[in-house]
Amino acid sequence: MSYLILAYAFAIAALGGYLVWSLRELRDLERKH
Amino acid sequence: MNRAERWAAAAVALMLVAGAVIFLYAPTDALQGPVQRIFYLHVSAAIAAYGCFAVVLLGGIVYLRNESLVADRCARAGALVGVVLTTVTLVMGMLWAKPIWGTFWTWDARLTSTLVLWIIYAGYLLVRRLAEPGRQAARIGAVVGIFGFVDVPVVHFSVTWWRTQHPGPIIVNDALPAQMLATFLLTMACTLILAAVMVWMRYRIETLMDEKQHIAEPVKVVTAREPEPVP
Repeated sequence: MSYLILAYAFAIAALGGYLVWSLRELRDLERKH
Repeated sequence: MNRAERWAAAAVALMLVAGAVIFLYAPTDALQGPVQRIFYLHVSAAIAAYGCFAVVLLGGIVYLRNESLVADRCARAGALVGVVLTTVTLVMGMLWAKPIWGTFWTWDARLTSTLVLWIIYAGYLLVRRLAEPGRQAARIGAVVGIFGFVDVPVVHFSVTWWRTQHPGPIIVNDALPAQMLATFLLTMACTLILAAVMVWMRYRIETLMDEKQHIAEPVKVVTAREPEPVP
């Protein structure tokens, strides 16, 4: 069970983290543009 | 909320639906127990990564044909999102392998070729990051992206070409019960939408960065025809 939770926690961190990072980068670039 | 945030929120909402289906609707595997639920996102992320690397391949081919910056930006976007998805595939696979195989990693054909795939596209990103932005970097990137794609069918068919610890294809062999198949298809659809949103957002970022660095589409020089000699 712990491996299942670890696996999905990693997926959420990786995909969610990437999505948030992209949104912030895009917002910064659009503001400067 | 701008357009990118709306698309991102929609993709996250779809992934939450997929998560609910994985944990609340899909039956528990009789043999492996709850840990088998890793399968749904592990395989979906791998398929979405294949799609991203196909974008790199097509972008590279189009760039080499007509030096289209749009194609090059698509390739850059596909490579980054593909590497993120391959990382998710690899780590989820390792965390699934430990309780089932007793080890996080084994050098079998599927795992090794997937790691090679990750290294190829991480290398692509490194080349694009380190090289001076411009025509030369885009051409090198296109070549790496095209040849790198050779590993995608190797990864996919490795379980049928070689004897591996990794299980063979179960979806095409009708080995999944109906509820598991429905859960998998929904998760795959949601993951593909998430990947498409991520690629589109990265494409926007690459476009804005190019504009910031004053990198524009090459201007096609049209020379006036020489006047016909008067006889």
